[in-house]
Amino acid sequence: MRIDRRRLVVLGAAGAAGALQPRLLRASAAPKRAPGSAGDDLPAREASWYKKLEEGRVECELCPQKCTVADMERGMCGVRENRGGTYFTLVHGRACAVHVDPIEKKPFFHVMPGEKALSYSTAGCNVECKFCQNWEISQFRPEQVQAYDLPPKALVATAKRTGARLTAATYGEPVVFWEYVRDAAAAANAAGLKPTVVSNGFIQEKALREVAPSLAAIKIDLKSFREEFYEEQVRGTLEPVLKTLQVIRELGVWLEIVVLLIPTLNDSVEEVRDLSQWVRKTLGPDVPVHFTRFHPTYRLTDLPPTPVTTLERSWKIGREAGLNFVYLGNVPSHPGENTTCPGCGEILIRRVGFRVIANNLVNGACPECSRQIPGVWE
Amino acid sequence: MRRLTRRELALMLGAGAIAGTTRAEGSGPVALPGVVGMAEAKAKLGRPLSREQADRVIAGAMAAAVGAGSGVEAAASIFTPGDTVGIKVNCLAGRSLSPRVELVEALVDLLAGAGVDRRKIIVFERTSRELERAGFTIRRQGPPYRCVGTDNDYDRLPSSSGAIGSCFARIVSTECTALVSFGVVKDHDLSGVSAGMKNWYGVIHNPNKYHQNGCDPFIADVARHPFIRDKLRLTVLDGVVAQCHGGPAYRPGATFELGLVSASTDPVAADLWAWQVIEAERRRRGMPTLEEAGRPVRFLATAAHHGLGVDHPDRLRLVTA
Repeated sequence: MRIDRRRLVVLGAAGAAGALQPRLLRASAAPKRAPGSAGDDLPAREASWYKKLEEGRVECELCPQKCTVADMERGMCGVRENRGGTYFTLVHGRACAVHVDPIEKKPFFHVMPGEKALSYSTAGCNVECKFCQNWEISQFRPEQVQAYDLPPKALVATAKRTGARLTAATYGEPVVFWEYVRDAAAAANAAGLKPTVVSNGFIQEKALREVAPSLAAIKIDLKSFREEFYEEQVRGTLEPVLKTLQVIRELGVWLEIVVLLIPTLNDSVEEVRDLSQWVRKTLGPDVPVHFTRFHPTYRLTDLPPTPVTTLERSWKIGREAGLNFVYLGNVPSHPGENTTCPGCGEILIRRVGFRVIANNLVNGACPECSRQIPGVWE
Repeated sequence: MRRLTRRELALMLGAGAIAGTTRAEGSGPVALPGVVGMAEAKAKLGRPLSREQADRVIAGAMAAAVGAGSGVEAAASIFTPGDTVGIKVNCLAGRSLSPRVELVEALVDLLAGAGVDRRKIIVFERTSRELERAGFTIRRQGPPYRCVGTDNDYDRLPSSSGAIGSCFARIVSTECTALVSFGVVKDHDLSGVSAGMKNWYGVIHNPNKYHQNGCDPFIADVARHPFIRDKLRLTVLDGVVAQCHGGPAYRPGATFELGLVSASTDPVAADLWAWQVIEAERRRRGMPTLEEAGRPVRFLATAAHHGLGVDHPDRLRLVTA
């Protein structure tokens, strides 16, 4: 199979709204061209976070990999290229996956339940998780996937046309298309939409602080609470991700955390407890934590799916640590998908998979005890 | 480092080792660890060699690499008529610092002379555009040989080798039974040297993932993947003009007329030689060593550790045509 035949929409259309058709993505004017390496027919825009070094090298200041990149080479993400001492992003406005998804699919459980999010991604990623669910776009370079011009204004127009009230930079890794995220968020805010991001959180603080305040919500994949895991399974580091979580909280942007539990690698009682206690202590009890089920994929195909009992055990550990909102993911119909009031135990939002069956919140509060439930409800 | 003549090599190895240089039925390809054959070829930057020169140089380096009496004999000792031979050229730096077309075509002729079907000789690079930019003509079916870019025709699923997990070009994984790395002799900003082994980054879909730590152990991990390790027969390096600094892109002030083309059945030894000539030129110019410049060449030791070839200077044998 030739990879350039990968379809625009490569991800499962599990969302209620289904996938956009490519015809909805109108090609804009001919892309700018600049001399470069194999990807030189890609539209290129100067990157916003880098510094020039001696002899034509550049250092990327977007993510903690801090790639030093020589002329005609790319950073680890594969979407940023040094052309004669100037660093370019090759994916601004170049979406390779676009869906209208329920916001629960991100998952955000405390952000406008039941609403649709125009979800988009480009190629590339700044880490290499062996268990990546979206590796067919995240682990490829922009010239290796089929992509379309979808500049920020067109993205927002598409969202409005499809009835989406949110946008979501997701699927691949938004950090590697951070300029696109920034500009799409500005366009979304101007149009009265709520921009959100689903990320690994592996980003330098300055770039995060410059864009995060324009976002309505951020979901971070906390892939483990152990540096060894990040080194061996992710090719990243944990510490910058923890810093990202703290900065997001400090900025007051709505935050949810997803932890994909992988049998034998990051699912021990001790690790889940350490993680939960750190979240409770550092970020507070009201940050939702989703423990989700692993399915074998990409380079991690020799492990079984996560037992549901492991998820349930982790849910209990999270609650015992003092977290008010612990959820289970990738287990449709499990009670762990529901939002319950930490005050009186009333079920506030009942879910099955990505569908909201009932939303009993009244102005963001429990109808029984009137406790205010934190989130972005309107 | 010892410099030998082809005759001395033959005497040293013994007649039986090369066996008249034509492979006996059922025998494996000739492989001589640590031996690098070379031939002189003078030309200015950007100026082609004459075709006669190219034929002589490639034949000489090949024959020297295996102690054969001629280039065709050498090719016949390394390849069989039933092989489908992929010649991976490194054209990242454009026409100024890519393998010369005339040298690659001289190798193609040698292979054909040894009985390999021209339709089964594939000169390839990551993209057709890079090939064209380096002066090659795209020939999807031939004749006189096929010349194509991988152009994203990778395996559907990744496979792992050590620390790397990549989709390999189908030309390498599926189509070819034998491979040649046809590189240049140049500095690399991260790995120190980009010659024959680094060239294999061009057959995986995600080379950008593997530039940390001086590309170590990643270069060796790509090269020891069975798709490469089991098929790689020959490394040829175009050192007519080399570059001692500023790679992998072409850097005008850093090129020098080395005037040599090398061939080796040992990919590690081939790169060791490239490393030595780059360091020698840097010394001549008063530049720091690659290690002092912050890009030590680590990957050769790792490759040698995995049994891919010889990385010790004392075991490197340079054989002149």
